[in-house]
Amino acid sequence: MRLLRINGTFPKLRKLICRRYAQAIQAEENEYTETPVYPPILDMSLQARKLRERETIHKKIENINTVEEKQIALNMPRYYGWQCVILHDDKVPYNALPLVQHYTRTSFKNIDKLPDIYTQSSSVADSVVQEIKPYIEECIAIENEGVEHNIVTSVHKPEQQQIENAKTRNIVKQINRIISNNLTDKVSHILSSQVDYDPRHEAFWFIGGVDVPNNVVNWRKKFKWLKDRAHEPLDRPVQYLGSPLLTIRNQLPLKPVIPYSEAENPEFKVPVYSCVPETVGYYSNYRHGTNIPGFWPGDFDEFGMLSYHGRGHLLDRSESYGAEDNLEALHCQAIKASFGWLLAQANYKGFTTYNDLTYPLVTQTVITNGHLMSFYVYQLNTITMHSDKVDNNPKYNICFGTKPLALYDSIENGKVKGLNEDVLKMLVQFYLNAPEERDHEMAPFLGKEEQIIADIEDDNRRCWLESTYKHIVSNRPKHLLPPELYLWEKIYKIKFNTRFFEAKRKPFEFDINPFNRRLDDHLPPYIPKVLRPYPRSKKKFETTYYPKV
Amino acid sequence: MSTRWYPIYQKGNPQLRVFLPNFWMKLVRPEGRQQPSKVTFHCSIEMTKHDVKNYIEKIYNVPVVDVKTRIAMGKFRKDIGKGYIVKDDDVKFAYVTLPKTMKFDFPNIFEKKKGDGDDDMKSLDEAKKSFKNYIERNKDRSDVPSWFSI
Repeated sequence: MRLLRINGTFPKLRKLICRRYAQAIQAEENEYTETPVYPPILDMSLQARKLRERETIHKKIENINTVEEKQIALNMPRYYGWQCVILHDDKVPYNALPLVQHYTRTSFKNIDKLPDIYTQSSSVADSVVQEIKPYIEECIAIENEGVEHNIVTSVHKPEQQQIENAKTRNIVKQINRIISNNLTDKVSHILSSQVDYDPRHEAFWFIGGVDVPNNVVNWRKKFKWLKDRAHEPLDRPVQYLGSPLLTIRNQLPLKPVIPYSEAENPEFKVPVYSCVPETVGYYSNYRHGTNIPGFWPGDFDEFGMLSYHGRGHLLDRSESYGAEDNLEALHCQAIKASFGWLLAQANYKGFTTYNDLTYPLVTQTVITNGHLMSFYVYQLNTITMHSDKVDNNPKYNICFGTKPLALYDSIENGKVKGLNEDVLKMLVQFYLNAPEERDHEMAPFLGKEEQIIADIEDDNRRCWLESTYKHIVSNRPKHLLPPELYLWEKIYKIKFNTRFFEAKRKPFEFDINPFNRRLDDHLPPYIPKVLRPYPRSKKKFETTYYPKV
Repeated sequence: MSTRWYPIYQKGNPQLRVFLPNFWMKLVRPEGRQQPSKVTFHCSIEMTKHDVKNYIEKIYNVPVVDVKTRIAMGKFRKDIGKGYIVKDDDVKFAYVTLPKTMKFDFPNIFEKKKGDGDDDMKSLDEAKKSFKNYIERNKDRSDVPSWFSI
């Protein structure tokens, strides 16, 4: 009864509110002003209108409050996922460095010793090296000759690579344990850091400046209004997938290696690499874009400090590639891994591939097989490189890297011979590089009160967003697979219309491209009648809370 | 190696010799832009990556870093006059990677030399002139065939 009464009064109430609103506006706006006020003159060409459309979408994503909703928003245009170029950290084709540099907008500098900011920790590192040297020697000797691990390999990767990485993982765990145990009472940031073993690192972004694939050009040429726009630039979605052996992360970010203003230095410019990735040896796959730096949003230790990667994949490269290309492959791996991890961290701070970073992020990467170690320091300055920004973004990322350096000469009779103290010192200096509090806003594009969905108070909305986010990020196949196009249909229905008399049933017969379906283009779950609110509810379907972009 | 079946070896002359092996490779223009050190070939369907590598290294003495192959489906077309649909043969593509210091440009086979175009135009003009003369001569007897003259 009471419900009915409220329903009855509701239209009146609404009218009242509307009228008040309109009156308020009218009172403020004066039709006549002293100087004429004109609306801005807009470029009404097709390109300009499309650009404005895209910019409004980017603005909408920027204005979303929480991290997870932004990630869902990036995936909104595709129900079956983006056709992503997949960059695995341990798959590097021949001559891939130019492509990787363009895709990550990274300038690479070969160095022999660490950059200048590491000089202040030099004296401390020397004493630490002397203290830990016997322990390191012992652990290397034991791990190599003293223990026989039972390594379980899977069929998904080459066996050689898995065995080498498993051995490296054990050594790296021991080295990390020895160094952090020694440093905990010397520097404060080591004790508060988190250590992850085999974390899940994923990053997603859009890259512009790549040639339009042949099939798209051919498709465009079929329509007369697209004929002169056949080579119009296209964004390629890129997905990085990687799994380091061990990572260390902290509550505070590392200090920048070079000042942020240096990011626009023209000497760091990277040439555009426009060949399609398939010609280099990278392939694409349908999947939702995911940004995961090894933890879920809401974790306190959200800035990476150091990550260890294996180099077992070099064993499975063809011998004809040569030693020089293997070295480049290590650089590629380091650039991809560092960029991917930092980009995912930046995404957890509310930046996306459409909304650029406002401050630099730094990480340190070590690629090792337990014997050879190469050290990389990476500074992330920019993450927008989609086709609107690829040519006019002045910022570039910077990676400093060394050659692989031998930690020791050999192991004889269970003893390590010739431990290289300089290499060990570099590693200790990576640990001694202390993170610092920054004096600027860390998450300008996140909400003031709601930064992650756990902050949302509305129970329904929070639970729905949580389960949707986790489902999208899991990249499990859809319950109903995408409609299949059989070859006989392609021949007898699309290429040659020989069966015109048959009823039209499939999407292609109605000119529908199933891959253009939007993420929210589905019926929400049905509410059975018994579960609907008493006494009478017209609401048949559950509410969805997709971000409005 | 050839895939043809040969009669069993017999002593004495004349011996059977292979002149046209079944393994062939045809250099083709790439479909889109690719790295300058990559070369595209069509080859016999039976050839494997190793065959392609050996073919180029052993016969032409060109170093090969990597070979990728794929089989492209032949085109479907309507048989002219018959109306039914037929399919062309499949083609195997071989994408050969040379060392990155090497560069390959697809040669311009049908290059036009200087003066070629002028000669063509000259002969065309002459033909046009003689045709005009012929029309002029025979304008009074338009229905008489060209071979009927003195």
